[in-house]
Amino acid sequence: MIQVDLLTKHFGSVVALDGLSFSVRPGHVTGFLGPNGAGKTTTMRIILGLNAPTSGSALVDGRPYEGIIRPLYEVGSLLDANALHPGRSAWHHLLWVAQSNGIGRRRVSDVMALTGLEDVAKRRVKGFSLGMKQRLGIAAALLGDPPTLVFDEPANGLDPEGIHWIRELFKKLAGEGRTVFVSSHLMSEMALTADHLVIIGRGKVLADAPTEQFVDANAHSDVLVKSPHANELATKLKARGAAVVDEGSDAIAVTGMEAAAIADLAAGLGIAVHELSPRHASLEQAYLDITRDSTEFTTGTAAQKSLADQ
Amino acid sequence: MIEEDTESVPPRAQSVTTRSLDVLSSEWTKLRSIRSTYWTFLIAAVTAIGGSAIVTSASAHRGRSPFDPLATIFVAWLEYPVLAFGILGVLVFTSEYGTGVIRTTFTAVPQRRSVLAAKVGVVGMVTLVFGEVLAFASFLLSDLARGNHGISLFHAGVAEAVGAAGFSLFVVAMIGLGVGSMVRHTAGAIAALPALIYLPLVVLSLPSPWDHRIGSFTLLMAAYQSVSLHAQPDLLSPTLSLFVLAAWAIIPLLIASVMISRRDV
Repeated sequence: MIQVDLLTKHFGSVVALDGLSFSVRPGHVTGFLGPNGAGKTTTMRIILGLNAPTSGSALVDGRPYEGIIRPLYEVGSLLDANALHPGRSAWHHLLWVAQSNGIGRRRVSDVMALTGLEDVAKRRVKGFSLGMKQRLGIAAALLGDPPTLVFDEPANGLDPEGIHWIRELFKKLAGEGRTVFVSSHLMSEMALTADHLVIIGRGKVLADAPTEQFVDANAHSDVLVKSPHANELATKLKARGAAVVDEGSDAIAVTGMEAAAIADLAAGLGIAVHELSPRHASLEQAYLDITRDSTEFTTGTAAQKSLADQ
Repeated sequence: MIEEDTESVPPRAQSVTTRSLDVLSSEWTKLRSIRSTYWTFLIAAVTAIGGSAIVTSASAHRGRSPFDPLATIFVAWLEYPVLAFGILGVLVFTSEYGTGVIRTTFTAVPQRRSVLAAKVGVVGMVTLVFGEVLAFASFLLSDLARGNHGISLFHAGVAEAVGAAGFSLFVVAMIGLGVGSMVRHTAGAIAALPALIYLPLVVLSLPSPWDHRIGSFTLLMAAYQSVSLHAQPDLLSPTLSLFVLAAWAIIPLLIASVMISRRDV
């Protein structure tokens, strides 16, 4: 269980976090979403005691991280898979991490097997692919068999097979009753992995809801209808309780009525229909809509602004 | 304020001693598992022993007895061996800050002063032992080069002075450790190190007697005085100079221990 309460963080005059509050519950994979620069990494660093908040608190199982003795038994984390000494072998990396918390060599071998790293154990990290480094980082996070896991952008740079592996692993860990907190800037990835979403932008919580609920609320669908008699059809559809938006050139967007029902109605009225296609607004679109105003650098904004200034 | 939850903390975690030993063994694994450690020690060994032998045999060939036969042995140390030990200390921290490994270190052991203490313990032990080995090896080799004009290790004050030479290398490694933890960047810390070691010698251009009164407290004058057989009367005594050396190790580490808990990583 992670509880973040009214967290703020200022870097000089820059406000990175602006009163962030949410909690991450055990037994779920919680996705932590937001555009680049939203404050995801800063939040995670504060949770792990690496950065001090300007105000507010972040507690793991009711305690500040800095107060935890041997935290690897409580929280496993991976912030940056590239944070490795290039000249050290995978085995020695895991060994020093384990030793710092009194974890034995057998467990080091176990997590290597668990992450499929046995064959490269003695090799220096220098030659590792990003995927192998991610596995090594996850192995280190699992050393203490902790009830809470924190991962910052773990899917970055992974091939499809690696992404599939990591997704199944997170679900398995949550299924065992652990708290799994995973950040990403990709909605498509989180929609498949997480069953709860915390979306932030510019240091504020924009949405905090179960994934399913977020999908229902945001991923609305409609039916595009094209007909030479679109206006007449629109009137009849409205009379049946559907909502209709004119999309120009004989096209209308209909919500609140299934495609089949629209076709039946048109046939009954003798109105020719040239196109009838159900459309689903993607989750990605919903996410973009929510975070648009808070994106640090939106493509084109700067150019538009400078034009406006002239 | 923070109460230990005895149920979720594994039993071994209860003892502070066990915990300290675990962090020590972790730091020991870090130090021995990268090649740069061995390269640094190799460079230090070659330049220390080689430099001492060359300086001593050169002065022996000139046929005149040097002012201080003991201190002469270690004159060659002022450059490379001293810097090699200092850089070793610097890298112990800056290599972690540079790669980002420091975040793994501090998430594994959030009690950051324990990490600093463990690094001091491991690097201190290794550099003290290796520094003493180099000091006595340099002495014995230089003694051979000098032939029968040699001085015995069993003469009064000789073993102490040779021991002080090894101790000086340890002191420089500790300064490197402190500077590395504060500066965090390898290049910056390696630039700061010689500034700390050599720059204070400008006080030697002060008018007498202030040159030596203040100069006694510089790292290099204190080291020179403690490895001399014939200590200069207007500088601090060899024993007091050892305390000055110890202060040079302790002060940067004390500042580092205050700063290490305060800053974001």
